[in-house]
Order: sequence, then C-alpha cells, then structure tokens
Amino acid sequence: MSRWLAEALAVAAKDLRAEFRTRVALNSLALFALTTLAAVSYTIGPYRLATEDRPFLLSVLLWIVIFFAALAGLDRSFVKEEESHTAPLLRLAAAPTVVWAGKLLYNLVLIFALMAMLAPLFCVLMGFEIAMPWRFVLVLAAGGYGLAVITTIVAAIIAQALTRGALFSVLSLPLLLPLLIIVIEGTTAVATGDLASYSESLRAIVTMAGAMTIVSAFLFPVVWRD
Amino acid sequence: MNRFGLALKWLLFVWMIAVIWAAFMWIPSAQGFKGESSRIVFFHVPTAWVATLAFLVSCVASALYLWRRKPKYDFGAAVSNGLGLLFAVLATVTGAIFAKIMWGAYWNWDPRQTSITILLLIYAAYFALRSAVADPEKRATLSAVYSILAFVTVPFLMFIVPRIYFSLHPDVITNSDPNNSLDSAHLKVLLASLAGFTGLSVWLYSVATRIEEIRHRRRQEVL
Repeated sequence: MSRWLAEALAVAAKDLRAEFRTRVALNSLALFALTTLAAVSYTIGPYRLATEDRPFLLSVLLWIVIFFAALAGLDRSFVKEEESHTAPLLRLAAAPTVVWAGKLLYNLVLIFALMAMLAPLFCVLMGFEIAMPWRFVLVLAAGGYGLAVITTIVAAIIAQALTRGALFSVLSLPLLLPLLIIVIEGTTAVATGDLASYSESLRAIVTMAGAMTIVSAFLFPVVWRD
Repeated sequence: MNRFGLALKWLLFVWMIAVIWAAFMWIPSAQGFKGESSRIVFFHVPTAWVATLAFLVSCVASALYLWRRKPKYDFGAAVSNGLGLLFAVLATVTGAIFAKIMWGAYWNWDPRQTSITILLLIYAAYFALRSAVADPEKRATLSAVYSILAFVTVPFLMFIVPRIYFSLHPDVITNSDPNNSLDSAHLKVLLASLAGFTGLSVWLYSVATRIEEIRHRRRQEVL
C-alpha cells in the first residue's frame, strides 16, 4: 500500500515538475479564471445585485468561473503524454491505478491552487460575504475533488480520440452539471448560514465524488491499456 | 422471421391501437387539469420510462462489452443509446406541451426539465465520442467506459436534484397521498401503455442491432 502511494506520488511529482517547466496548464487555468473574473467584476461589481439575490447569484458566478477554467486547463494531463510519446514508457513503468492516482493528485493540486487564488479574490472583488467561512472551504474542497475525479477520467478518454480540445468540454460538461448544481446549492447555503441545506449538499457532493472515484478507479485500466 | 416473432409483432400492433383508443376515447379526462391535457400522461410517462430503460440497457451492454469484448455488445450499447435519445426527445416534447398548457410556458427549467436536458447532453456526448474515434475496438472500449460513467450520474439527476429544488411536475407515480393518486382506470391504461412502449422499444432494438450486425459483417467481408 505504501509502495503504491509512493509510486502515485512519484507520478504526480513528475507531472508537477514538467508542469513548472512550461506552466502551460497553470497559465491557462489562472489566466482564464482572471480574465473571466475581471469581466464579471467589471460588468456586475459589488453593488449591482439586489441583497436577497446576492448569495445565490454570486455562488453561480464563482462556480461557473471555476468549472470553465478547469475545462480550459485540465485536459492536458493525458494528452501531453500521447503528444510527447511518453505514454508507452509510463505504461511500462507504473501500474494503471498508480498512473490514475498520480494524475488525479496532479489535477487536484492544480484545482486547489486555482481555488486558493480565485476564491479570496472573488469574495473581495464581488463583496461576497460568507456566513460560515470554514464550511465554505470544505464545500470548495469537496467540489474541487469531484471536479478533479471527473476531469481526470474524461482526460484519459479523450487522449485516445482524434479531436481532443473540443471533445473534452463536450464529454465533461454533462457529467459535471449535476455536481455543479449541487455545489452551487452548497455555496449558497454557506453564504447565508443555512446549516440544513449545507449538510444535505455536502453529503450529495461527497456521495457523487465517492461514486465517481470508485467507478473511475475500476474503469481507468481499461482506458489506459493500449 | 419466425412465426412467433410475427405473432408478437401483430400483437404489438393491435395493443398500441387499443392503448391509443383507450387514452383518447375510453378514459374521462382527469380532474384538476386544464382541458384534455391529462391524457398526455399515457404517452409522456412511457416515453420517459423507455428513455431511462434504454440508458440502463446501454450501461449493462457496455459492461458486458468490457468483460467479454464481443462486438455485439457494443452494437447493443450504441443502438440502445440511440433509442434512448429518440425517446428522451419525445418525452421532452410531450412534457413541454403539457407545461405550456398547465404552467403557461413551454420551458421553465423545472428540475425534471433540467435533468432531461442533461440526459440529452449525455446521449449527444456519447455519439460525439463515437464519431471521434476511428478504430472500432478503441471506439467500443472508450464509449463503453463513458456510458458507464454517465450512468453513475443519472441517480443524482433523478433523485437528488429534484429533491433540492421545488418542482411543479405532477408526482402521480411515486407519491403516497391517496387523494392525489391515479384512479384504477387511469392506472390500467397507463400500465398497458408502458407495456406497449416497452414492447415497441424491444422490437426497434432488435431490428437496429440486426442492421448493425449486417453492417459489421459487410465491413469484415470488404476487409
């Protein structure tokens, strides 16, 4: 078990090292999020929305920025292995589930980095007041994990297909929409301080992310095997 | 085609005519609905049921393909996703007509309408993936994986999203309120219609898979 974990961490570390050399994914994630945030903040700003609409509408905007930034940046994880012809070597070097866990960790680091930058900035620029800040972090973390699990397996699928860029969004979005609806509900709940709705949403997010983790762990070896 | 199959086909033919006649002529229109709008339940619910059933069949066929690696399971999954798409569109259209009459607008993003939209997107994405992979074996594997992944999200659409949001959708099938349930005549026709539409979809499925198998054999002969 510890050996498996060490190998998965090694795969993730390799990807992060390669990523920091070029910063392709980080740049596209961060710049997409920042330009969208600038556009939203410029057109809506902190005063445009009516007070009773604010928690819901601001949660919607926050998650739309996060989801579409993720769709812009997270498709690279497997495509770059195929493009640089390193995939066969990775197949030889590590077991399929190790590769899956490593790539998932790598995507998680990217998403959490994006959230750590974006969420505080969004709250400041849009005047988004959160009644339960720690629970807000928990909803972000759980939602980010669900996002990472789904985009990892879809990225593995599209790396084998012909038209990669467009296909990633087309395949991810239908799988992500239920998660998006639930995390928006949860974020609205932590902003207004509605504990019952927060607990229901968080349980739904954890169930969905857990189910997706198990299914992807089972299905990934099939996709990865050439 | 053998005799038994032919008899079944004729039975389906007569059965569907009887269901249509009962739905429009035999049943009185239900209380609490505008005009004759309640009659659409006999066509809306079965199409939605067949769409969900097709999704389940496609998931099972996909799992069987990944296990056994026989092309016929891939055809089954693809055909049943195609049928699912067709019946989901029919359910959406009949639902929108009902929504216009009862609620005043064809589309208002009711939770049921949201979940059927996502279902349609999943079906469409499945065919987008199939068209993007040239190698038949790889196409079958990848689309089978996607089909199973999509199936895992369906329970969240069906049960959790409608529970979080308020819905105008009538809940005659699953609720426990005795004042709001179907009377026995309505229930009989609805069950008959469900059986008819299920039979229709089984027939369409068998025709379409046979066509796919002939196509597959022709391709093999050419190669």
